[in-house]
Amino acid sequence: MAKILDKLIPSPQKKLVKLRQKRNWLIIERDTCKEELEAKVNKKLSALEEKFNKKLQKPAFEACDKALYIQSQNLDKLIKYDRKNYLKLRAVNTAAIKKIFKLTKKGESFDSVLENQKGKLDKLNAKRDSFLQKLEAKKAAFLEKNSQSTQENYEAAKAEALKVYETEKQSLNQAMQEKLDKKTAKLNAKITAKEEKIKAVKAKITNVHTLPDDVLLSVKGLKMYFGGLKAVDDLTFDVKKGEIFGLIGPNGAGKTTVFNCLTRFYDATGGEMHFKNKLDEVVSLRDFEVHDIILQGISRTFQNVEVVKEVTVLENLLIASTRQYQSTLFGQMFSLPLLKKEEKVMRAKADSVLKYMGLSLYRDRLAWGLPYGVLKRIEIARALMCDPQLIILDEPAAGLNETETNELAELIKKIRTDFDCTILLVEHDMGLVMNVCDHICAISFGRMLAYGTPDEIKASKQVQEAYLGTGGDE
Amino acid sequence: MVKHSFSNLLGREQRQEESAIKALRAIKKIAQKPVLHFAIFAVILSVIKVLSEQKILQSSFATAVGSTIIFCIVGLGFCLLLGYSALASLGTAGFIAVGAYCAYFCLSQWQFTIGTAFLLAILVAFVVGVVVGFISLRIEGIYLAIVTLGVAQILKEAFAALKDTIRLTGKQITISWLNDMRLTTDHVYFILVIALFILMVLTKNLMDSPTGRAMLAMKNSTSAAQAFGISLLKYRLLAFVLSTIYAAIGGFLYMLFIRNASNSSDTLFALSTSLNILGAVIIGGTKSIWGTIGGTFIIYGIDKMFLQDIEFFRANPTLITLFCGILVIVVVMFFPGGLVQLLLEIKLKIKKLIVKIREGIYGKDIG
Amino acid sequence: MFDAYLSIFIGVLPSMCAGILATFAVTIIFKTSYTTNFAQGVISALGAYVSVEITMMLGWPIWLSVILGIIACFAVGVAIDVGIFRQGRYVNTLGKQIISMGLISIIIGIIPFIFLVTKLEAVPQRPFISLTEGFKIGSTFVQYNTLISIGITGVLLALVFILLQKTKWGLSVRATASNEIVAGMMGVNTRIITAVSWGIAGGLGAVAAIIYVGNVSLSSGYIMTMTQINAFLAGILGGFATFYGPVIGCAIIYLLNALVGCVCVHVEGLSMWKAAIVYLIVMLLVLWKPQGLFGKRTVKKV
Repeated sequence: MAKILDKLIPSPQKKLVKLRQKRNWLIIERDTCKEELEAKVNKKLSALEEKFNKKLQKPAFEACDKALYIQSQNLDKLIKYDRKNYLKLRAVNTAAIKKIFKLTKKGESFDSVLENQKGKLDKLNAKRDSFLQKLEAKKAAFLEKNSQSTQENYEAAKAEALKVYETEKQSLNQAMQEKLDKKTAKLNAKITAKEEKIKAVKAKITNVHTLPDDVLLSVKGLKMYFGGLKAVDDLTFDVKKGEIFGLIGPNGAGKTTVFNCLTRFYDATGGEMHFKNKLDEVVSLRDFEVHDIILQGISRTFQNVEVVKEVTVLENLLIASTRQYQSTLFGQMFSLPLLKKEEKVMRAKADSVLKYMGLSLYRDRLAWGLPYGVLKRIEIARALMCDPQLIILDEPAAGLNETETNELAELIKKIRTDFDCTILLVEHDMGLVMNVCDHICAISFGRMLAYGTPDEIKASKQVQEAYLGTGGDE
Repeated sequence: MVKHSFSNLLGREQRQEESAIKALRAIKKIAQKPVLHFAIFAVILSVIKVLSEQKILQSSFATAVGSTIIFCIVGLGFCLLLGYSALASLGTAGFIAVGAYCAYFCLSQWQFTIGTAFLLAILVAFVVGVVVGFISLRIEGIYLAIVTLGVAQILKEAFAALKDTIRLTGKQITISWLNDMRLTTDHVYFILVIALFILMVLTKNLMDSPTGRAMLAMKNSTSAAQAFGISLLKYRLLAFVLSTIYAAIGGFLYMLFIRNASNSSDTLFALSTSLNILGAVIIGGTKSIWGTIGGTFIIYGIDKMFLQDIEFFRANPTLITLFCGILVIVVVMFFPGGLVQLLLEIKLKIKKLIVKIREGIYGKDIG
Repeated sequence: MFDAYLSIFIGVLPSMCAGILATFAVTIIFKTSYTTNFAQGVISALGAYVSVEITMMLGWPIWLSVILGIIACFAVGVAIDVGIFRQGRYVNTLGKQIISMGLISIIIGIIPFIFLVTKLEAVPQRPFISLTEGFKIGSTFVQYNTLISIGITGVLLALVFILLQKTKWGLSVRATASNEIVAGMMGVNTRIITAVSWGIAGGLGAVAAIIYVGNVSLSSGYIMTMTQINAFLAGILGGFATFYGPVIGCAIIYLLNALVGCVCVHVEGLSMWKAAIVYLIVMLLVLWKPQGLFGKRTVKKV
């Protein structure tokens, strides 16, 4: 019963998350409204330009160099004619070549064919010449009719148009500035109101945990029992901020189970998981459902690549940011302007992540049928979409060869620096793990074997035993 | 700032070319906006009705098109459920019954206005959808399909217990705020067209929105969906609620248009309706709006619209059923992607044919 | 009072036998082809038509017509699997379901052309032994026909169960049901197994329909629809994890029907709602045990 009530009444954590999302969106709006208004003003200005250009056409025509004008017109017409003619030429030539091949096979002479072809080509050339003559005639007629050029009308009209344009531009800019100021003020007011609400909700939260400054994730006494099977038994470790943390162990040791408990796919039987989220608050991960974990700043990849095959690569990334959208269901069904705005922002972000991962080529391709390496990169790109604090990589090197694994190692290090996040990784490939991790935790049968730097782990007797077995003196 | 553009003063040839370019651009713009496609379709449907009133087409044709439109509406909701959320449901007939019986009770027994009746139908459909949505969290796959069948049976039997045959008279369908104007079947036809248009637009928007993507994510990989913030509860409920509401709207409009329905035999509220809608959506191509429309017209439309007029079929009505069955099987066997796949293949073949013809006339490009 | 109850329970027995056989047919197809055969009802009706036609129009003895009906449906079942499913370009389980749905239309459409019985005004019931022969328990009349139906059902059920559990063929079927690809690798000829399973399902359905038309007149191709729906519900009630689960589920559904009927004797006006109540109870049972009463729970690995 309590569980059902829990689901119906939003906990303070959930309210907090929602309020923060709304406030973040207001901040984005405020920062982008200047560009939007400028874009609107530019549109109006270009419409003005068009109008003036149309007005100035006649005087410009009278003022221009008629000979130059008619020459360029004739040139354009000639180019168009040649373009149309090209296909006919091609047909004649191909037909001729075909016939020549036939005759050569038979061993006969193909002079008649060449004559035929020459005849046809001559006809086409004759047509072209007559066309040229027509053009010349038109040019002469035109030059007769229009001989003078009056500069003054044009200059006068141009000056006037310029004046009007400048005044319009000024007034538009002024109006835009006013609107901008008004809007910014309104949004700022809304933002401060939201901040107040956030403070109030935060004050209500009673159980506050603390973590030392450098620790991001603290797992204490994690237990996961499936009936009698102890998949994870009393596991404790700390992940420091900004480090790459590796979790290793033989198959069946419970590594993926640990991740599933952290990301709340499983309900851990016991133990605590404290995490410092994006706003430096320490939360207990148990308070959240599996679909709320991403909002705390934890994203993950999967052992069996779980990319959505039915949509494009770009849309796969957009799926990751579903919770960032503020549009309601009705807003989406009626395709309101807010949704269009949000889509633009999200798509720009997705494009930048794709560029970072080198996947821009695949942007609009369906994820179905893409090579395995590309799918793995899409998984990682998707995990980067929400600016996570902690990225959990579940066997990222599975199925990759040595070169690809080395590239992956470099990529992981680069992501850690560029995105300023912490990485938690499960891997079997010892080379990758030793290369990339700052600290490693080795587990076996759900229990911790050893914890330390790569060198310490390499030297640890327990780890060697767990992997290689206790061999007497063999 | 000021450019020299002499287009207005040029020869007639150039002006013609410019207007041709403008026209092509306009067509391209229309081709890119699906809403305009839907509008054109709605106009065609309305024209059919007008033609039938002028006796150019038979009136039975318009009636057939009208009832097919109703099934298109139901099919759209099912398309969201099956194509976008991969939730199997055989309860469609029961949900249609909800709408139809709501219309009957509200208009005939309790004398509500049409607006109130419609809202009540949507409300009941919402509740039923929520219930089935919660059920879907506990039960999956084929089991869920049969459970929805069970739910539809419960609804069907419960309604049959209340009233076996329902009938609405013209007197009962009136718009109160238009001086109690009676809504004839002719009026209702246009209401059907408008409803279909609106629902097509809404469905299309939904499919392209983050919600549509979230449903696809849920369909392809529940783990990935959950890991990235998509709550299975929310989207499954949404899928069922939407499809139930669409079906109820269909049932409500059915009662306004056809004005009677019987619960006893193998008719509107029976398993065969659910199966026909399932078939229509799959034949059309499970994720596509136009595919659903096409599939519905194949299963429901061809029969009443065309075959009834052919003497051979009228004498042996069961042959129509036979013919439709064969059609369904052929499409599923050879075009598993549905009509949409068939049309894509035809398009490709036509493109290849055009290239071949061009080469035949102009020869292959040498050099 | 007791007599009323007894007569209700006795009355439900023939339909229950038909239901059990139909459920078993549905289960076999589901386990080997992973689809629900929506055409199950009309195929069994086809068998009933064959049998009734032969008895009424040709005047042959009943046992012969029954056997011919079974053979006809067996052939139809095999033909569907081999002739249609195998020929398709890429027919997945959903496609098979739609095909079976199309088959409903085809068979319903064909029936009037083949069978002269359809031209009759009213087809009488066609039991194994005349319905008037029977014996009395208290004031309830038990027809011999019912006993024969029960007997046939029991024998068939026992036969198929023994085949499944004890013979090599049965082992092949269970292996195919469990994992078709691996079974194929182990040397099981899955094509023949699937085809034969469809055939057997057809045959069982034919017997179900033939028993059914003993008490109900053969009015159209749709007479077995209710039985088919009950068969599907029985399948999920019992759970498709086992072969016996759905059969027991079917028995539960029909007995529940009788039970509610007994209650209706006392409560006025409840009989209209009988069907709705029965389905409601079944749904609640399914919700209580989502994998079926005899199903096994699986935990999905992420």
